[in-house]
Amino acid sequence: MEINQAATELSVIKKIMEDSRRINIDNGIHYIFWGVLVSVTLLANYFMVLYKVSLNYIGLMWMIIMIAGAVAGSFINKYQERTFRVKTYAGRLLGSLWFASGVSMFTYGFIGIITGAYNAIYCCPIIAVSLGISYYTSGAIQQIRWLQYVAAGWWLGGWALFYMKSVHILLVFAIMMICFQLIPGIVLFNKSKREESALQNYEL
Amino acid sequence: MYFLINPKGKNQLYRIMNFDYQQIDDVIHSRIRTSIMAVLVSVDEAEFNFLKEKVNATDGNLSVHLKKLEEASYISVKKAFINRKPVSKYKITNKGYKAFENYIKNLEKIVKGNL
Repeated sequence: MEINQAATELSVIKKIMEDSRRINIDNGIHYIFWGVLVSVTLLANYFMVLYKVSLNYIGLMWMIIMIAGAVAGSFINKYQERTFRVKTYAGRLLGSLWFASGVSMFTYGFIGIITGAYNAIYCCPIIAVSLGISYYTSGAIQQIRWLQYVAAGWWLGGWALFYMKSVHILLVFAIMMICFQLIPGIVLFNKSKREESALQNYEL
Repeated sequence: MYFLINPKGKNQLYRIMNFDYQQIDDVIHSRIRTSIMAVLVSVDEAEFNFLKEKVNATDGNLSVHLKKLEEASYISVKKAFINRKPVSKYKITNKGYKAFENYIKNLEKIVKGNL
């Protein structure tokens, strides 16, 4: 083997490895799913508070919807694992990050409130700040810079929510959920669809 | 004569001339097989069509090279039916990982000999 040939081969291997690591690992389905579910529930919660529905019913609604969401989310995950063309270490890392984030949010949203550690309304800014951590890390893992800017949106929104002292926190949090969760999810979904169709065109 | 211009050149030329080319792994040393290994070392698991796209090979050609890597136990395959379509998923083994690492080291040795 010639020296130039070896050098070329090394650079080709490096490029293939970099390209393979950079593949899209997040199709945005989970962002859309949770974005719709949580924003609709938040709006329902907001109107229930305005119409003075008992807090017990509101708590029960959250409990049922979140547990059903977790079950449905795990089914989506299982289906995706079966149908994904490629599994990456970054994907595994991302799965662990969002699982840990989900457990933390469940703790803030249910355990923190049930134990009376803080006023129920303040679980919104706490969850917003926590989502900022997950988005920032997720953007770093996937090397998607704009996803890290979304994290800034969550943090700034979280700070603002801490200053609000009314039920309107729920409405603002629902809007944040649409802007910083649902819309990024749709963008990621479209990106993944474009890449998928490019691959299918290649196969034809 | 390179080593006459560069005083260090003599030693480097000696190193290149004495490199044992038997160390180059024949199983990996082919454009397609090297590419397959480079893809599989970077991911957890990859489907046949994904490899086909990355490696830029035809179905038949890719199958032959995958078979060769599989026979050397450098990769493992898992076959399943997804939406009634047969799907093969490939993964690098520990033996394959070590062999690829060794292959890269040998390439680097060759290249460094030229510095």
